[in-house]
Parts: sequence; structure tokens; C-alpha cells
Amino acid sequence: MWFNPDLVIIELESESREDVLLNLGNQLVKGGYVKGDFIESVLARESNFPTGLPTKPFGIAIPHTDADKVIDPQLAFASLKTPVTFNTMGSANEEIEVKLVFMLALNNPEEQLKSLQRLTEIFQDEEMVLKLSQAKNAEEVNELMESSEKARF
Amino acid sequence: MKKLLIMCGTGIATSTVVTGKVREWLREQGLENEVTLYQSKISEELNRIDDYDVVVSTTLVPDNIKGKVIDGVPLLTGIGTDEMYNHILGKLNQ
Repeated sequence: MWFNPDLVIIELESESREDVLLNLGNQLVKGGYVKGDFIESVLARESNFPTGLPTKPFGIAIPHTDADKVIDPQLAFASLKTPVTFNTMGSANEEIEVKLVFMLALNNPEEQLKSLQRLTEIFQDEEMVLKLSQAKNAEEVNELMESSEKARF
Repeated sequence: MKKLLIMCGTGIATSTVVTGKVREWLREQGLENEVTLYQSKISEELNRIDDYDVVVSTTLVPDNIKGKVIDGVPLLTGIGTDEMYNHILGKLNQ
């Protein structure tokens, strides 16, 4: 399973990037998956090292931070009711409208490499990105993610 | 032996993905024995960036090293990948 149901937020209504990060981060803190200062750290990193990806048909963001803030590695997911603005990874002052957010709480990239690689393949699949934005609950999100896995192996 | 550095903001998420893809690409190009891959976070590399022949970054870099750094984000979005690989190849052949 890709996402614990308590780490999936569907059609989140929020007005800002910070608000989205707070909502997802709180779920991770509540579940005991990350330390209390994870959220603060993610917010700071997002300002210094933005994580918006100019994918199609709309942008995706992958906020994350240092490994030492993570207790039990997890991925958290949010689809946004209305897009919010993120800065683009790797280029200054470029903004994109993001509709899907994958918050990465990772502490061992080698072990988690396969999941990360699959994630990036999903980002490159326009149809999948669209379907994920339309998913109605955590179960549907997980089914979609797994269906793409099956197609590939 | 050429040195190729891949870096991101944390050294943990995107640079891991990009390193995996570049390693595969080097193998396809028959270059795996000619290039050593390094993966790191930007804060640890700023002072020794000139030690590397090629630098790929998925994160923002300061203006003073911009000319040296290739944008690795295409490997995450799938947009502009060929151009990025050509850029790397060009630097490796310099």
C-alpha cells in the first residue's frame, strides 16, 4: 500500500502553499511518523529549495526535508480543491499551479529508491496525474498507484 | 575518470532518483567505467564544486556557480530529458 489512509487528504481546501504543508505535516506528526519540528523544517526548506514540478496536466509538489526529522518513513498525499502556487524546483522565481502534493517523509533513500522511482514515473503519466486528482478517497488513490505498478512490471 | 556530481536540497529524495537514472543512462552509453557518480546535498558541495567535471542539480543554485550546473529536473518531469543528457554528454567530452 502506498499511503496510510490517515495520510491521504482528498480535495483539501486551502488558500496557500503553507496551509497545504501544515495540513499534511500535521497528519504525519499526529501519526507519530515524524518529529514535531518536521513541519517547521519542511516550511523552511520549501522557501529555500522549492519542490514544485511542472508536470502535466497540472503541477505537482513534493515537499520534504532532512532525514533526521523522520521516525517512520511514509508518503502523504493531498489533492487540492483549487490549485495553489508553488515555486518550481531548480529555477528561481518561476511559479506553477499545483493540484497534487506528495509529502515525502524519508530517511533511507537507498531502501526507498524503488518507491521514489515509481513516483516519478507516475508524475510523467498525464492520465494518471489527472485520475489521481479525481480520486474520491484513500482507497481509490492507492488502487490507482498500484494499478500503474502492475502495468509496469 | 570523470567526476559527475548529482545534488539536491536534502541529498535524500530527488538526487536519489536522478542518480539512479543517470547511472542507468551511463550504462546504456557504455560510459559506466569512465564516470564516477557522486550524490550529495548542495550545502556540502558549494566550496568544492570545481572538483567535479559535471554537476547536475535538482535544486536552486547560487548565481556564481550557475554556469557550471545542469538542471536535473527534466528527469523528474520527463520534459526535456534528451536535451539534458546531451548537455551532460557535452560536458563529459570537454
